Amino acid sequence: MNRRLIARLDVKMEHLIKGIHLEGWRKVGDPKGRAKLYYEQGADELLYMDVVASLYGRNNLSGIVREVASEVFIPITVGGGIRSLEAVREMLSAGADKVAINTAATQDPDILRAISDTYGSQATVLSIEAKKLAAGGWEAMTDNGRNHSGRNAIEWAAEGQRLGAGELLVTSIDQDGTGRGMDVALISAVAREVDIPVIASGGVGSTRHVVDVLKNPDVSAIAIARDLHLDKYTLADFRTACHDAGIMTRRVKGEQGA
Amino acid sequence: MINADPRKEAIDMSLYGPNATPSQAKYGLPQHVQFCRKCVISNQRPNSAVEYKHTAQSKKTVIAFDEEGVCDACRNAERKQASIDWDRRRAELVALCDKYRSRNGSYDCLVPGSGGKDSFYQAWVLKYEFGMNPLTCTWAPHIYTDWGWRNFNRWIHAGFDNYLLTPNGRIKRLMTRLAVENLFHPFQPFIIGQKGFAPAFAAKMGIPLIFYGENEAEYGNPIADNQSARRDFEYFSMASDEETYLGGVSVADLQSRYGVRKADLSAYMPSDPRLLEEKGIEVHYLGYYLKWHPQAAYYFAVENGGFEASPERTPGTYSKYNSIDDRIDDLHYYTTYVKFGIGRASYDAAQEIRSGDIERDEGVALVKRYDGEFPERFAEELLEYLSLPSEIFPEASAQFEDPIMDRDYFDALANRFRSPHLWSYDNGEWRLRRTVFQEN
Repeated sequence: MNRRLIARLDVKMEHLIKGIHLEGWRKVGDPKGRAKLYYEQGADELLYMDVVASLYGRNNLSGIVREVASEVFIPITVGGGIRSLEAVREMLSAGADKVAINTAATQDPDILRAISDTYGSQATVLSIEAKKLAAGGWEAMTDNGRNHSGRNAIEWAAEGQRLGAGELLVTSIDQDGTGRGMDVALISAVAREVDIPVIASGGVGSTRHVVDVLKNPDVSAIAIARDLHLDKYTLADFRTACHDAGIMTRRVKGEQGA
Repeated sequence: MINADPRKEAIDMSLYGPNATPSQAKYGLPQHVQFCRKCVISNQRPNSAVEYKHTAQSKKTVIAFDEEGVCDACRNAERKQASIDWDRRRAELVALCDKYRSRNGSYDCLVPGSGGKDSFYQAWVLKYEFGMNPLTCTWAPHIYTDWGWRNFNRWIHAGFDNYLLTPNGRIKRLMTRLAVENLFHPFQPFIIGQKGFAPAFAAKMGIPLIFYGENEAEYGNPIADNQSARRDFEYFSMASDEETYLGGVSVADLQSRYGVRKADLSAYMPSDPRLLEEKGIEVHYLGYYLKWHPQAAYYFAVENGGFEASPERTPGTYSKYNSIDDRIDDLHYYTTYVKFGIGRASYDAAQEIRSGDIERDEGVALVKRYDGEFPERFAEELLEYLSLPSEIFPEASAQFEDPIMDRDYFDALANRFRSPHLWSYDNGEWRLRRTVFQEN
C-alpha cells in the first residue's frame, strides 16, 4: 500500500502561514500558488487548515478551495472552524473531498457521527492536536492548540473511529514548526489504537523524519508544511528518501524508482 | 488596623447605573474613552510610573492620541518600519560595544532578563553577534510557571552566567498583598525588582553597561522616550529613602506597622543616584539599536534554545508565547482590566497589530472574546499567596481586618478600584460602558 505525502497549508485569511507550537504565525506565502506547486511536485493530497477559524468563529476557506479545486486534481481536505453540517456541505461543494474537524467535535461528538452519516466516513477526518503531558500521555487540545479539551488524545482517537471518522489527522503541538522531528511515540500510539488511516503531522525538518514515522506500517500518511513552504525540500526529496528506506509511495514519472 | 475589609464597605452604586452620568474618572484617567484607530488600545492606558512614588493617590499620565485618533505606540511602530535608519543605529551599537568591550576576560555588560523569548534574544545577539561578554541577572518571578522555569534554564544553558536573585518570599508576599490592597497592582513588586535590581547589581559588580530589551515607548510611553537609547534613572534611583513607597506604603510605615526589618527591604530599595553616577552606570535599550519584533524573538528563542510556548493560552488572551514565566501575570492583567478597562488580549492584540502579525478586525474579535476573563488557572494558589496568615505574618496580619484573601474578598476589593466612567452595574453584572468591539 502506498503511503501518502500530504502538503499541509495552514491559512489565515488570504495568507499561507506557519507557526511554532501552533503559535506565532508568520506569513510565508500564497496558499493558492503553493497548492499548485505542490500538486505539480506530485503531492498525493492537500490539507488546508484555517488556523484562526475557531478563534474568530468563522471559516474563510471556501473561496480558496473553489479556485484551487478547479486546477488541482488530487484530494483536498479542509479543516478549521467546521461546526455544522452546513459548513461541511459548503466545503464539499466548493471542491473539498474531506473535512477535518477538531474543536466542535470535542464539544459535541455527535457532529462527527452526523457528518459521517450524511457525507460518508471517507469524507470525515477527525483532527487531533495533541499536547504531551508532564505525567505522560497526551491531551487533545482545541482552538488550534490554545484550550484544553480534557480528553486523552489516544482514547479520543478510538472514540472518533467509533463515531464514524474515516481518517485521523494527528498533530503534535510540541513538535509543530520546530523541524526537530515528529512525535513518533504519539503517532504510533494512535495508530495502534485504531484501524482507520492515520496522518502524522508536526515536526518534519528533514527527510529522515519522514522515514522515522513511516517505518511504522500502520501510519498511512504524513503531512508536511514548513520544509515545503521554506523550499528546504521538495516532495520528490521525501519520496526518494522513502524509496531508499523501502517505503512505498506513489510513483511519479521521471523520478527515481518510477 | 489599617486595611478595612472591602466586603463591609458601602459603594455608592448610583454612580454605576447604566444611565448614570459618570461624575469622576479615577486615577486621573481621561473622562472620555477613546480607542486607537489603528490598534485596539484605549486612551486609558497609563504610561510607566515611577513605582517608588506610587500611592493610592497617584494620578496617571496616559498614552497620547494624535488628531487622527492614532496612539503614540502605533506612530512609534510606523517610524520603526519607515523612517529609522537601522543600519546607523546598528553602527551606534557596535561603537558602544567597542567602547565597553572587555579585553581581559571580564564581563563587559549586564543583561537583566527572565529567560523569556526577549531576554534570550538580547543576551544571544550581544554575545554571539556583537562579541560581548554579558553577565545575565534575573529578579525571580513571584511564582515560576513550570515552562517558565524550564525556559529560564534553557536560556542560561545556551551559554550565559546568571545571578538569580530570589527575594525573601515572606516579604514578597507582603509587598504583593499591599500592592494589591492599596494599588490593585499585584505585579508591582516584580516591576520594582526588575527595574531596580540590575543597576544596583551592576554598580556592585563594576559592570557599567546594562542592556534592557524594548523601550516602554514601544507600548505607549511618550514617543520622545524612544529618541534615546537610555533609560531614565528616575525609574530605579531615589535620593532619599524617606520618599520611597513600596506597595503604596512608606518605608517608615513598613517598618513601624508591618513588622518589616530594614534589611528585608534592601532588595527593593532604589539605588542612590550619586552612586550610579560615580560608577558610570548606563542603562540602554537594545530595542533602540536593533529593530525589535517580539514574534521574531520567539522564533529565535525556539530555534536557538529550544524555548517552549506555554501549554495553553494565558487566561485573558489568545497568546502562548508572550510573558509566560510568572503565574501572577494572569492576575496582573485582570487588574488592569478592572482599573483601566484594558485586559491582556488588548495589550497582546495591540502589539501584534503594530508588528503586522494580525489585522485590526482580528484584534477586535480577540479582545471581545478574551479580555477580562478571570484567571481561574492559578487562582487558588495566587489567592493563598496574597493571604497573610497570622502565624507567618504576626504583625502585618494585624493591620488587616481580614488578612486572608479569598475570591470573595478579591472581587469586593476589585469593585473599590472600578472607575464609574468605565464601569456600569446592571442586572447583577459589571460591564464596561465602552468597548472597542461595540464601537465598531
